Amino acid sequence: MRNSRLFSTIAGALFAGIVTSTAVLADPSTRIGIVAPGPHPYFTQWDAAGQQAAKDFNIGVVDYRVPAKWELAAHNALLESMASQNYNAFLIFPGDPVATRPTVADLVGMGAPVISLAGCLQDPSDAAFCFATDNTVAAYDAAKLLIKEMGGKGKIVHFAGFLTDPNTKVRIDAIARAVAETNGAVTVVDNITDLDVPEAAQDKINAFLATQGNNIDGIITTAWIPSVVAATALRKIGDKRIKMIGLDNDDLLMAAIKDGYVSGTVVENAFAQAYVGSFAVDKLRTGCKLRDDAPWKNANRSAKLMDSGTVYVTAANLDTYHDIQKDKAKGLLASFKSAYLKCP
Amino acid sequence: MAKSILRQEWLGLAVIAVLGFVVMATLRPSFLTPFNLFVLMSTFALATLIALGQMVTLAVGQLNLSLGSVGGLVAVSFAGLMDVWHWSAAPSLMAGLALGALAGALNGILIAQFELSAFIVTLATLAMFKGLNLALTKAQPFYHIDRIVSAFGNASIGGPIPAVLIPTVMATAVVAFIFYRLPIGRQILAVGGNSSASELSGISNKRAVITAHVMSGALAGLAGMVAVARLQLGQPTIGEDWLISSFAAPVIGGVALTGGHVSIVGTLLAVVIVALITQGLVLFAVDPFYVQLVLGGLILVAVGLNSLRSLLPIGYSSL
Amino acid sequence: MAVGRSSRSQPNEEASTALGLLLLIVIAFAVFSWTATGFASPYNLYTLTRTAGLNVLLGLAMMVVIATGGLDLSVGATGVASAMFAGYLMQDFRFQMVIAIVAALCFGGALGFCNGFVVVFARVHSFIVTLASMSIIFGAMIVLTKAESVRDLPASFLALGKIRWFGYLSPMLIVSVAIGALIAIMLRWTDLGREILASGASSRAATLSGVRVGSRIITVHALSGMLAAAAGVMLSIRNGAMVPSMAGNLGQEWLLPAFLAPVLGGTLLSGGRAWVLTTVLAALLVTELTSGMLLMAIGEFWVQFALGSVLLLAVLLEKGRSTLMGTGEGI
Repeated sequence: MRNSRLFSTIAGALFAGIVTSTAVLADPSTRIGIVAPGPHPYFTQWDAAGQQAAKDFNIGVVDYRVPAKWELAAHNALLESMASQNYNAFLIFPGDPVATRPTVADLVGMGAPVISLAGCLQDPSDAAFCFATDNTVAAYDAAKLLIKEMGGKGKIVHFAGFLTDPNTKVRIDAIARAVAETNGAVTVVDNITDLDVPEAAQDKINAFLATQGNNIDGIITTAWIPSVVAATALRKIGDKRIKMIGLDNDDLLMAAIKDGYVSGTVVENAFAQAYVGSFAVDKLRTGCKLRDDAPWKNANRSAKLMDSGTVYVTAANLDTYHDIQKDKAKGLLASFKSAYLKCP
Repeated sequence: MAKSILRQEWLGLAVIAVLGFVVMATLRPSFLTPFNLFVLMSTFALATLIALGQMVTLAVGQLNLSLGSVGGLVAVSFAGLMDVWHWSAAPSLMAGLALGALAGALNGILIAQFELSAFIVTLATLAMFKGLNLALTKAQPFYHIDRIVSAFGNASIGGPIPAVLIPTVMATAVVAFIFYRLPIGRQILAVGGNSSASELSGISNKRAVITAHVMSGALAGLAGMVAVARLQLGQPTIGEDWLISSFAAPVIGGVALTGGHVSIVGTLLAVVIVALITQGLVLFAVDPFYVQLVLGGLILVAVGLNSLRSLLPIGYSSL
Repeated sequence: MAVGRSSRSQPNEEASTALGLLLLIVIAFAVFSWTATGFASPYNLYTLTRTAGLNVLLGLAMMVVIATGGLDLSVGATGVASAMFAGYLMQDFRFQMVIAIVAALCFGGALGFCNGFVVVFARVHSFIVTLASMSIIFGAMIVLTKAESVRDLPASFLALGKIRWFGYLSPMLIVSVAIGALIAIMLRWTDLGREILASGASSRAATLSGVRVGSRIITVHALSGMLAAAAGVMLSIRNGAMVPSMAGNLGQEWLLPAFLAPVLGGTLLSGGRAWVLTTVLAALLVTELTSGMLLMAIGEFWVQFALGSVLLLAVLLEKGRSTLMGTGEGI
């Protein structure tokens, strides 16, 4: 009896708390959350790019946040907590192309526009559009470059990222297409996936090169960690017979390019993604709309992709590619303003 | 008597390991290339430390879920000391070992002094050490480790024998020495075998339990630092996937889950078998996820055989 | 007799633990509302109750096994595998949603049954059996699904995830609490429940008084599997997809919440005592703490450390309490 009265008192207190705190502050300025799906060196460029955008475009707040683990539940929990904290515009790399959709729907339902960044949500989603590297083009170009380095013939192995990453399958298919154009002169020996974790990459790549290294002539890597591990392994083997094209711009990979163990790398434009993305999502929040006739690409499982482009880095432009990235970002910004956006 | 049982226990494992090696070498000649043997032995070096780290807690009749979490924390601390504070390799190594032992001591004291369940204590410290790791690193790796460490991780000491085998051999020798030569080793086994009886016979249960956990923590820390040397960076995710393999090797190697009995040779052979299976799956391009299936199956078979053996009359066990 | 004694002494202790937890929930609510922006906003309460629904189920899945003195490390693997099973039935075989969910619950129950069967007949502790089965179930699931999510689900299933009551309440919590109520009734007022608790309190005494302890151990493992499956389905509803990695590698991410709730709720690890009400409240508290910490400036990187500390604190307190009261019921 006494307990039940206490219980009802507490329930009443809880309810009062809910009612009083529902009046959330309405903040007129844009608060952008740039949210990575987990800790990964690729995303570290987003923080600085976001700050740069806040300064250049006079945006209230641009915060880069990352969950403590690369895990769907942690990613969703972080997004939910940010929505409760009055962030009102989001750039999100999906933790999963489908399972992040309900959370994005929640955010958009609360009036916060969402652009999916660097990786796309699968259609149909509530994201305004997807701003990412067109993986088909990037992987296809990388494969073409590798085939050229190999003199148009030989055997390739492909070291890829998580199979659960929506981009991985797309890349496998794109490489297969480039290889098919050689009419059998080049073959893909194997696509080895789930290598975007250092320990797994170390074990599997070394085991592969140890046992089948003599059998292959080229390596293409389409994720960050395998690029680093494969570059380090080629340095250890040391004969420079096997050609390699990597992805992105880890220090160890760049050093291997400089010393000639790796031919080159396809660097995604992470700077442009966060920089132009911040501009875009701020405009979408403050009344601008996307043009109906915007030149969207249909790729990466999304019918509304804007390609953020890549820079091919070799020993020749190793020192200047950051400037090239920033130049390309300016180009992307201009084309977004003119071809994709219409403001009242 | 004791010796003959010991021998028959790991004889079967030795036969399996040798058979596996021969089959692999015959089917895939590339298996015997120096580079592959180098990779295989590097894997063995790390996996052995992990297995021994769990074996010592099993010896005292307990377990250590926080093994991988301690390994990860020591790994990032070791790398962090070199990267951020520019310590050189040797003092960082000492600090890493001390941190591992300290983490183990915390586990041991909580378990022995407060008479708490080892399972729940190490589940809690698993989360705490992992949390510290993430809070310290913000989940980003430390890249700039001492050149000596990264060179050590890639170096060989003659032919295909990797340098990272050195700490493993030394640690194994120390563990063997403690168990077979020192009184505290026998006490750990006595406590594991029958804790109330050993208390009556004047052995300090608490000291044995704490010692076992300190050893476990130090071995986990050493494993974490070997992982840093192999990966060439202090990755916060080190240790996340150690749990199953840490139990698999001792259990397959014939270490009693109820405590009181260890088999270092058996554990080492089990590590070899597990490494051969992992390599074999890569060699034959089998889906690597089969590793988990096979490991789980092996654990079940091993405990099944053990309990079957205990049900049969003594004479049958030599079969 | 053990059964009579424990059931008589339980309600008071359970009520005092429940009151303590309730007090902590209210205090935490007040503190977080004050310190963390947006904690008491309707959307945060909605997501909080949604996550709490999952955590309650995980806690119950572990609690029923702990009641017999065992544990189940495979909850995560079982939950995800069962959810994937339901997903395939709906996506590839166009099963009706309700039938697919029931099938998933049965599938989880069957996996749990296997755990229990091996525990009883191989006479091995459930720790090592479920450690192995966690690896086997998760490995088999990944091999069979090729680690691909189930994404093409019927609209009726997806619609379940969008239900939101009064703006701040997720029906998931209500479902979990209802399931908890059923388990509470089973444990307290049925022969089955009394036998389960008796088996946990003292397996020898239970055997002497005619309880088939082995079959009760199998029962709780099957029940644990079903509850884990329910948790897996619930998380899939929330995600709108069945994702193999939704409980982390091997389903390990579910272990901490699964143990936190029963241990905080005063369930004895040695078996024989299981309180549903306190387990539910403890799951609520844990969810609340996690949510509050995510919102506070200290950041997401300390959440795991804090949850580990809470678990340690809970066992230390329980130890202190039982030592003071001289009951000798240690954890």
